[in-house]
Amino acid sequence: MRHSPITIALLLLCKLAFVVTSTEDPEESKIKTSDNHDNELFRVMEGGIEYPYEEVLNVRPLPHNHLLSSFQFQMNSEPFYPGQSLHGFETYDHYTVFPKSLEPLLRRTDVRKLHLRFTRGYWDSEEWGRLPHQGFKSGGSGVELWAVVEGSSKQEAYNKWKSLANGLSGSFCASINFIDNAKTNYPVFSFQPVETNFDGIPLFNETNELYLMHASLANEPICTENLTPLLTLLPSKGKSGISSLLDGHKLFDSIWHNMAIDIQTSCIDNDRYANNGECYFEMESNVDVVAHVPSILSRNKHPIPKPLGGEDLHCDLSKPYDAYQCFPSPETTEIQFSLSDIFGKNISGANDLSFTHSKICASVSDNWLATIKVDDGLFGTDDNCFELTENRNYDIYMESGSTDKVIPVDDVPIYASRSLTGYGQDHGGLRTVFTNPTHKPVRLSYYESLPWFMRVYLSTLDMEVTHGNKEGFTLNDIVESQYYIPSIDRKRSSQLEFIMTIPANSTIALSYEFDKALLHFTEYPPDANHGFEIESLIITILEPIPYQLRTATLLVYLSTPDFSMPYNVIIISSTIMGLIFGTLYNLITKKMVPMEEAEKILATRSIKYKLTMLKQRVVSKFGF
Amino acid sequence: MGLVPKFLKQLPKVAKLLMLIALIMIAIIPMDGQYRRTYISENALMPSQAYSYFRESEWNIVRGYRSQIEEFKNNEVATQERNTIVESWLQDFGIKTSVYHNEEHGDTLYGILHTPRGDGTEAIVLSIPWFNSDDEFNVGGAALGIGLLRYFSRWPIWSKNLIIVFSENPRDSLRSWVEAYHTSLDLTGGSIEAAINIDYASNSDFLDYVEIYYDGLNGELPNLDLLNVAVKITQHEGMKVSLNGQSKDTIDDTGYLPRLKTLLLGIRDSTFAGIKKTHGNEAFSGWRIQAVTLKACGEQGNIDITTFGRVPEAIFRSVNNLLEKFHQSFFFYLMLAPRNFVSISSYLPSAVIISIVYATFSLDALVNTSIGSPVFYNTESLSSLVIWSIALATSYVLAQAFVYAPIPELLLAINACIVMIPYLLRKPISILKEPLSYRIRVFGFLYMSLALTSLLVINFPLAFVMGVLSFPMTLVETEKAGSLKQKTVKIKNMICLTLSNPFFAILIISNVVDSELSSLQVFFGLVSAWKDLNCWTWYVICIAWFPAWLLITMSAIVSTPVDTEKKHQ
Repeated sequence: MRHSPITIALLLLCKLAFVVTSTEDPEESKIKTSDNHDNELFRVMEGGIEYPYEEVLNVRPLPHNHLLSSFQFQMNSEPFYPGQSLHGFETYDHYTVFPKSLEPLLRRTDVRKLHLRFTRGYWDSEEWGRLPHQGFKSGGSGVELWAVVEGSSKQEAYNKWKSLANGLSGSFCASINFIDNAKTNYPVFSFQPVETNFDGIPLFNETNELYLMHASLANEPICTENLTPLLTLLPSKGKSGISSLLDGHKLFDSIWHNMAIDIQTSCIDNDRYANNGECYFEMESNVDVVAHVPSILSRNKHPIPKPLGGEDLHCDLSKPYDAYQCFPSPETTEIQFSLSDIFGKNISGANDLSFTHSKICASVSDNWLATIKVDDGLFGTDDNCFELTENRNYDIYMESGSTDKVIPVDDVPIYASRSLTGYGQDHGGLRTVFTNPTHKPVRLSYYESLPWFMRVYLSTLDMEVTHGNKEGFTLNDIVESQYYIPSIDRKRSSQLEFIMTIPANSTIALSYEFDKALLHFTEYPPDANHGFEIESLIITILEPIPYQLRTATLLVYLSTPDFSMPYNVIIISSTIMGLIFGTLYNLITKKMVPMEEAEKILATRSIKYKLTMLKQRVVSKFGF
Repeated sequence: MGLVPKFLKQLPKVAKLLMLIALIMIAIIPMDGQYRRTYISENALMPSQAYSYFRESEWNIVRGYRSQIEEFKNNEVATQERNTIVESWLQDFGIKTSVYHNEEHGDTLYGILHTPRGDGTEAIVLSIPWFNSDDEFNVGGAALGIGLLRYFSRWPIWSKNLIIVFSENPRDSLRSWVEAYHTSLDLTGGSIEAAINIDYASNSDFLDYVEIYYDGLNGELPNLDLLNVAVKITQHEGMKVSLNGQSKDTIDDTGYLPRLKTLLLGIRDSTFAGIKKTHGNEAFSGWRIQAVTLKACGEQGNIDITTFGRVPEAIFRSVNNLLEKFHQSFFFYLMLAPRNFVSISSYLPSAVIISIVYATFSLDALVNTSIGSPVFYNTESLSSLVIWSIALATSYVLAQAFVYAPIPELLLAINACIVMIPYLLRKPISILKEPLSYRIRVFGFLYMSLALTSLLVINFPLAFVMGVLSFPMTLVETEKAGSLKQKTVKIKNMICLTLSNPFFAILIISNVVDSELSSLQVFFGLVSAWKDLNCWTWYVICIAWFPAWLLITMSAIVSTPVDTEKKHQ
């Protein structure tokens, strides 16, 4: 990258000024840094205090004019000492780049590992290959949360988990607090941390154990309300560095988008039970987004996709065309755009907090040109990576005359899709199709959690080879081990896990049936007639390469009463009851008499009349 | 004589009066004040509230596709090749395609547009059969469908997946695809909320008016909201709507008789749904899919093809707005005009009364006999029950046999023979004693009444038509040997039995009311409706109507009179 000498000089001046003002107690920080030679928590460089924070943006064109932008933010917390009480009067907490809103929550709930995903959209793996980060950083449509929690018992761990969910719910403005017993599962084969048997995950109390819990909220809407809290977790707060590109309007107008947070606890001391060791949290946050570039560019030009003018039509010249007819030609392969077209904003300056400069890389093949635009100048580099060093407006400009050529996408080890089958409201079936396009058998784990109102019949589990070698495969050859926890009504969802092997070059359909339970009327959601969301099936490939993918969520329709009908019936019958009761009560307790008679009756009831009568009786008795 | 015995004596008259009332109840529905104007019940639908942009240069694109599709027709391109070419067009704008292979019903090409705003759990279907119900090449429909989907792919608004289906025909081919979608397809796009079929079998740029078909199978109808949306949008775009296949010159007619005509045509079409030509909407019946067919009629007119295309566009946008499934509006209704309808509460009493008519006749056969006081629990009842079971089993066997070997001539011949039995048998059969005859009659009518009652909520038109057509059955008299007017009664019985025989009655009514079902066509239609579409009208006729008729026929056979004195002992 080339800079004009004047800007560099200016920049240095600025940074020097920063050093003078911000390092009030340089000695203390020096002591600290020297203590932690293994892991520098922050250090003073010539440019100022720099914190354990890194940010990288990777831009990668995908086939058919799609563009994948992967944002990655990494940060570490200040060290803490597990043995120390949180509530002592002498202790204090110090926060730098690690979000202050998360750390107390993590320490209070004894979370050793936390994974939170907000995903929405359709990842076209046939065109785009593998998911970014081998699928380990994306979730199913909606919100997904899993964590390793330290606890003395399962119940205590669950309580902490519930508390964690409630806390995160507030932090991210999402309905994570709806995670309860009926939604929480304890995965056995899937989601096991890379450190097998939890070795390597620090345990603060020797008598405790680690519990892995997983829950997902299918099709929870993901929106700006979830992005803004995520940005505020970053030290740059979305104001500078690459995070300044992230804007809700554009991010959620994409074909597929994913926001992920991964936190893990690390301890300096290698001893697992380092009660007094120094520990810290490592957090990685990823935002991945796929956009279709031509449609975004055309929408920037005309917000409403009106019919194109005659001169803008791209017709296939090999077929008849004139002023009246036009057979549309395939999509253009020429494209020029800048990231500000895609995200609607420029990058407003470098971030001054990190060890390293904010970095932007374009993973492009030779037929692409990628340059960085600093104010008005364009600069290129050999490796198509750019560092943001100055406090100026940056933008990335890309163009290609043959967008059909991109860096080859990685082969997907497996394609999976799941669909609902069956007719009617009382039962149904689930059918999952696995396609192994490779020449090697793929060993994978299958993780499915179904709500209690889907009563699974595992006896109906069946396998069908729809493509490939149909001979000699039985269900037992495919599924090597099963783990199944049946559901308990209203208390626990059913959990189904398999370890299975899909033979090379074949398509296998796994299906089973279920009954639909009837719900209590209060259990129907407010929009009862929409149906019930079923969370994605999660497939983790164990061999030959680690990879994770999820199917789309499903919508199960249970027999739903027409809720307005009982309401009408209750109203009408209450009215009729009221009318009948009133009339009957009046008829039973009252007597209908003409006015004259009523006056006579009234007259006989007066005290004067009674006195007169008494007097008369007395008089007649004594015979006066 | 007391009031109750007097009333009991008049039961046949009461029943006939009830039948008349039932018919009058239907006849008064089209009168002013008896029907309602349609309205959109679900507020989210908002039909025609957004400006439709399928116009201007989109017309060029539709023409461009059409010129290529015309080539298929001119060069007689085979299905497979045609599907492959269209598949590549669809893939050009990012649609995932797949071909459903079915050796019996033909291949079906379908594609899914995974929409960015959607969660992939719900879908709307645009279905374009390559050949329409009249076996004409759906050239305009196919061009319009591809053009529309290409246009849809440019919009970011879709919250449900969009599926386009090219089946070989709108009947078995489409139905087999819908079935496969819910059982065995690998590429799926979530549960289908609504399906719009497009039938535009001309290469003209213009059309005259639009026919909307909405009947489902087995008495199912699409939610009235979807039909209303379709009608409202079509009229909003300036096109005239014809329901139930009314001809163009009667569309604008208003008044009692045109409304009555539309009503009766609706009952006819619903009764024969699946049996007559299907338009595509029938194939989606079931699985909670709401479906309508839009058919462009006439090649001359001032309506252009993009105007017609804006109708599916606006319907898609309306359905896309839905957050819930279709549930607000009526699922049971009869249309009187495109914008007039009656709900189930207005017409159902008529069918209820018809089923009461048969119950009344059953009661009449129980109490008004010459055998003395009615006792229900006796040996005759038991024997009748056994006879009823045999009749039911016979009917079922007959129904199954006919499905495997549909020879209507043989069926009619057998029935003609059965009709002749009471006429030909002069001498009473010893087993068939008079009380038994009456008891068989009781069970015959009771069964008919029960069958109609259970059918009427599910399939009103079929229950109504069955109830009316089998009415002559009630005029059949039970005779005993030695009666004076035996000859006249026998002839009258024979005529009534012929008229109320399910197969003769269906044959006669189909030839009278429906030009599509001429001569013996209705029987082939009934069998193919069951085989191709799972429409159980044939089994309803065989299992509900035929056993009742068999019992009544048996009761018309001359029976041995029993000495009343002997009975009393």
